[in-house]
Amino acid sequence: MTRPFELNTTISNLRDLNASDLSPYDAVYLGNITCRLYEANLLEHPGDLREAIAAVKKRGLIAYVTTYAAPRNDFLPKLRKAVAVAVEAGADAVEVHNLGVLKIVHEAHPGLPIHVGGFANVYTDAGAEVLKRFGAVRITPNYELSLEEISQIQRQVGLSMELLVHGKMPLGISDHCFLLEYEEAWGMKCPDLCQQDLFLKQGDWAMKSVGKGILSGKDVCMLEHLTRLVSERHTRFRIEAVSESPAYRLEVGQVYREALERAVAGTDGMEERWWNTLRRHARIGLCNGFYFGKSGMEYLGAGSEALISAFPRRGTDKSIFQIRQKEQFDD
Amino acid sequence: MIELLAPAGNLEMVTEAVRSGANAIYVGPRGWSRRRDAFEMDDAAVRGSIRIAHDGGAKLRVAFNTNMQSREIPDLLRRMETFVGFGADGAIMTDIGAIAAVHRQFPMLTIHASIGANILNNADVAFYRKIGVSQVVADTKLTLKELASRKEQLDVGIEILIHANYCYTYLGKCWMSPYHRLERKIDDAGKDLFRGSPNRGGLDYRVCLEDWQLYSGDTKWEDHVALKNDAFFLLDDIPHLIDLGVHCLKIQGREYAVSLVGAIVKFYRDLIDVYQARPKGEQFDLLPWKARLASIQADRDTQRSSGTRALLDEARIPVGAIRSR
Repeated sequence: MTRPFELNTTISNLRDLNASDLSPYDAVYLGNITCRLYEANLLEHPGDLREAIAAVKKRGLIAYVTTYAAPRNDFLPKLRKAVAVAVEAGADAVEVHNLGVLKIVHEAHPGLPIHVGGFANVYTDAGAEVLKRFGAVRITPNYELSLEEISQIQRQVGLSMELLVHGKMPLGISDHCFLLEYEEAWGMKCPDLCQQDLFLKQGDWAMKSVGKGILSGKDVCMLEHLTRLVSERHTRFRIEAVSESPAYRLEVGQVYREALERAVAGTDGMEERWWNTLRRHARIGLCNGFYFGKSGMEYLGAGSEALISAFPRRGTDKSIFQIRQKEQFDD
Repeated sequence: MIELLAPAGNLEMVTEAVRSGANAIYVGPRGWSRRRDAFEMDDAAVRGSIRIAHDGGAKLRVAFNTNMQSREIPDLLRRMETFVGFGADGAIMTDIGAIAAVHRQFPMLTIHASIGANILNNADVAFYRKIGVSQVVADTKLTLKELASRKEQLDVGIEILIHANYCYTYLGKCWMSPYHRLERKIDDAGKDLFRGSPNRGGLDYRVCLEDWQLYSGDTKWEDHVALKNDAFFLLDDIPHLIDLGVHCLKIQGREYAVSLVGAIVKFYRDLIDVYQARPKGEQFDLLPWKARLASIQADRDTQRSSGTRALLDEARIPVGAIRSR
């Protein structure tokens, strides 16, 4: 069956998989890309990975396996093993964020579809063309790209572009977890440290920390731009919920499932309840990432930028959508 | 012979670096390298740099190590043709598509994979070799063991940063700076300078060095959190690196004063020469070198910390509020 679009998300371990209602999604990426020590990371536990792939498929979903964002030489033996397990267990594709891993996977499993992840730094159509020769069938361009640039790559190279439409955007990856310095002070050990919903803040700046990974403080939100994405022939969408709760995964997924179905059907319109859900789950606020060629933390909706940037601290008597509609009318 | 590679942000710095003993110099054409445009050069200055370097017996590499836009690649190729015509000895690059395109058009040109390519493992190196790269800059986080393995297993030139930063994140895999502030500025030559995005050729606001507070949910857990980002000078490892047979020791710092860059280059030139000239098997005492490095380091730290404060202040200025720079 051909799907008009694919909505996917990421799950790091069996616990999160079992706790999550994934009914809004078509596909799941399995594994945590930032840290080998992440609690029960599927990439480090072949038995769990096999079980997770089976569980995802049992739910009628597509199972992808992701791989580390910054693998050093000593990561590679386990990574080869994880990819072999993925192939044996029937994973539908493997996502790579490292070009060495791309080469390894392509040579070891020539027929396996490979998705290239956001940390692989695809910035140009010429770059995507090179990766196509190494078995790439789908690309998440680097997060710094604008929609205009992404569409150019898609047009020129003919590969699907996967877009992060909602959630915390990765901002960086380290080999060092600064949270380890606080084990004694907090009375807490790895791997519990990065599970504490941690934010680095300074004034109106905020970033989420997951130890070795730094994420945007604000949630990237493309809800009111889905029609544009669909009209530009994008069909692969990700909700980045790897550091979020099962409730976030489900409820944000439901919003986007419904909104995407409408966008694909050509039925326009926003629902206030969608915004209420997103507002409830966005601790810091919303942004558009780099999709409109601006600073990543800006929100450039059709309505008031200031309102959305201040979200959710501003008044709640009117929804963002109501205010946005009024401003459009006033204009 | 191991090569000492020095930075140059202007013609005076090229002259000073050559005079101080660099075997090779790298410069960035405006908008095309991982530095603020103030430390890059127009085409005439690149040509002048090549002449100064060659007259002093040094090589000149041109850094095109940004992740450009797809539509900028034809311009990159035109400019590369110009610089190859001027006599450039190599190109430092990051974007894999641009590397492949340059290698196709200029198969004899030496292509160096930039630190921004973030080449972390031996399979990575093999990938870049396949698309036309012959030398790679090692990430600053790699261990000597990893470098040795790369040297043993792969036919590739290895470049080591001996004066640079240990960022909290891997270089090339970080966009914290443009997340907070990105200013799109098109220069007179039509190049988007992407101010705020080091990966795309602009300055880095070093937002990681902000004095962060750490919250769990809405509760403050820590008042002062620093994401480590230290500038370093390699010293203890230099003899090992020379013995290991690395091809190039690279100094970063186009943004520093000419005199400081000259002092750094001279220091490493002397160190390399004295180490290589010692009788075989003789113990090498690093203590006097540590003392000499201390004053250079103090000067560097002063310049760096004032630069960092200025960048963090600039990062808070709304985009559009800076009229010209």
